[in-house]
Amino acid sequence: MKEIAHLLMFAVLTAATLAGCGKPPEPPQTSKSPSPSPSTTPAPQQAAAEPAGDPDKKLNLFCWSEYVPQEIIDTFTEETGIKVSVESYASNEEMLAKLLAGGGNYDLIQPSEYVIEGLIKENLLAPIDHAAIPNIKNIAPEFTSMSFDPGNKFSIPYMAGAVGIVVNTELVQDEIKGYNDVFQTKFSKNIVVLDDAREIVGWAFDTLGIPINEASDENLEKVKPVLAKWLPLVKVFDSDSPKTALLNGDVALGVIWGGEGAILVNEDKKFKWIVPAEGSHLFVDNLAIPKTAAHVKNALLFMNFVLRPDISAKISEAFPYLNPNAAARELLTPAQRSNPASYPTAEELATMQTFKDIGEQATKIDELVTSQKAQ
Amino acid sequence: MAAGAAKAAAQAEAAYKRSPGLPAWLVLAPLLIWLVLFVVVPTIMLILLSFGEQKGLGTIHFTFTLENYARAFNWTWLKVFLISVWYAFLTTILCVAIGYPAAYFIGRSPEKLKTLLLTLVMIPFWTSFLIRTYAWISILSKEGLVNAFLVSAKIVPDPITILYTPFASVLGLVYNYLPFMILPIYTSVERLDNALIEAAYDLGAGPVRAFSQVIIPLTSPGIVAGALLVFVPSIAMFAITNLMGGGDPPTIGEVIYKQFTSGRNQPFGAALGCLLLLIFFISLWLTRRRREE
Repeated sequence: MKEIAHLLMFAVLTAATLAGCGKPPEPPQTSKSPSPSPSTTPAPQQAAAEPAGDPDKKLNLFCWSEYVPQEIIDTFTEETGIKVSVESYASNEEMLAKLLAGGGNYDLIQPSEYVIEGLIKENLLAPIDHAAIPNIKNIAPEFTSMSFDPGNKFSIPYMAGAVGIVVNTELVQDEIKGYNDVFQTKFSKNIVVLDDAREIVGWAFDTLGIPINEASDENLEKVKPVLAKWLPLVKVFDSDSPKTALLNGDVALGVIWGGEGAILVNEDKKFKWIVPAEGSHLFVDNLAIPKTAAHVKNALLFMNFVLRPDISAKISEAFPYLNPNAAARELLTPAQRSNPASYPTAEELATMQTFKDIGEQATKIDELVTSQKAQ
Repeated sequence: MAAGAAKAAAQAEAAYKRSPGLPAWLVLAPLLIWLVLFVVVPTIMLILLSFGEQKGLGTIHFTFTLENYARAFNWTWLKVFLISVWYAFLTTILCVAIGYPAAYFIGRSPEKLKTLLLTLVMIPFWTSFLIRTYAWISILSKEGLVNAFLVSAKIVPDPITILYTPFASVLGLVYNYLPFMILPIYTSVERLDNALIEAAYDLGAGPVRAFSQVIIPLTSPGIVAGALLVFVPSIAMFAITNLMGGGDPPTIGEVIYKQFTSGRNQPFGAALGCLLLLIFFISLWLTRRRREE
């Protein structure tokens, strides 16, 4: 019966997989490394490179869409001769579905914190060898002891970010401090929020002082009236590009990802970023190696490469999230570092909670939000 | 002679009833394999999945529970179905209203113009529909083309809200599915026999009567085919309602998509999908019954 389940998921995901399989596996190209020596055999070259990879020069990377710049993948291939085939996903659950279905043979995945927690619990991740990633020392101390993976035994942080409020100050003169200031009747149909049930319920929990991971039936009942008030005021639900509605002037307020907020703040002075007074959510996306990976050494090489300050700074340039790499942050411009949407202050960080795996309650949260939306 | 005619008729009937030989099966094989692999098997899997349960991180257990269907018949989800059917219904009506005159005009134009007009109908298909939908966003947004025109022409004092409304959703759906209505109607208009229309006039029918009692019934196969081609896909289309309607109110396609992703309940999504399939079968059956009448 399990095979049927696998086949089933395969069938359902065929369209997505086909889209992801756009790149046919090319024959492994010989090393293009900028080594000037006209050496005849590639073997000595490989021995010269410090940490050795797998004999098979391939890496199957399964990552979020719009998160790993093509430029750094190209640089990695140039330096190591390892051919990276990239497949991308738009949600953690999509990644999980494919990973659990057993297809794809992924060497490196990019799950968020609560998924790492679940994957460790189910014993699906390979422990990482710290000796193979010397650049691990660059990670800022606050990201080496995250509750989902203390000591980075199974994962390294890639990028992190907060969820917060963006205000178009040309359209809204009021002082906005938190969620309760956003969701007011006078801003009806003037708000964009993430199209993510767990996020929205998390904010409602924040306003009631309930920890965001305590999604018991009783607590869900408590947030119902809050959602009944909030959701009819929302004009746009968008997780992919919530900045669009704000940029086009279709809405004046938004509760969106920090990286999107950072782009808006850079774009125009009229956009202001606010960390909600009631509390906020910090997400951490990580790199991890599934137990089924065939190219573990190459995956470790890629982890070490991503943690290199110059490479990590390039990622920050393309996607201005909170960079957990302390050495890379020093390479950023003062403007980048002082963007409040990318880099919350230490006090703000202290008020933020991260998501934990809440299992089947996720289904109830989804139903709760859908029913309130369809009112 | 009567015997000869009877024999010929019997032969003709035998030709219809003759079972296809090996060559015919060989020619059909690619299509049949395709149908089995990508239509029959996935449908069976969807039906099986709808009786399962999802546990933990996402493993599916086949417990043959009816729970998913019991949950689906809840007002929350029925309302989502109703909204989607309503959008699809509006889209179909508007497509008929706009598409019929267009198709009729194209079908009755001289040959050269006909080719040109048909090409114009199909040109949008040359671009990805997502790109065209994003183009609509920049046309309809508050700082978009339509509002810039309305404000500068002093028709409205301030930019008005067009994007992210149910109106924008239906506009997007009509825009996207209109060619699917025009093309089948055009085919029936082209086959329209002028003699029958002339006969209607000769027998004293006015233009209104000739249109409603002769032209419409003769082109109705095209209308029915077009309505089916528009209605069925627009129920489940969620990219347009999400991008142009702002995802509010939720539609069934979006809700199913979420069950497979963030809702983490694939079996429930499958149950909703099976109900959607049922709606498709009902609409197919209704149109077939109509045709048989």
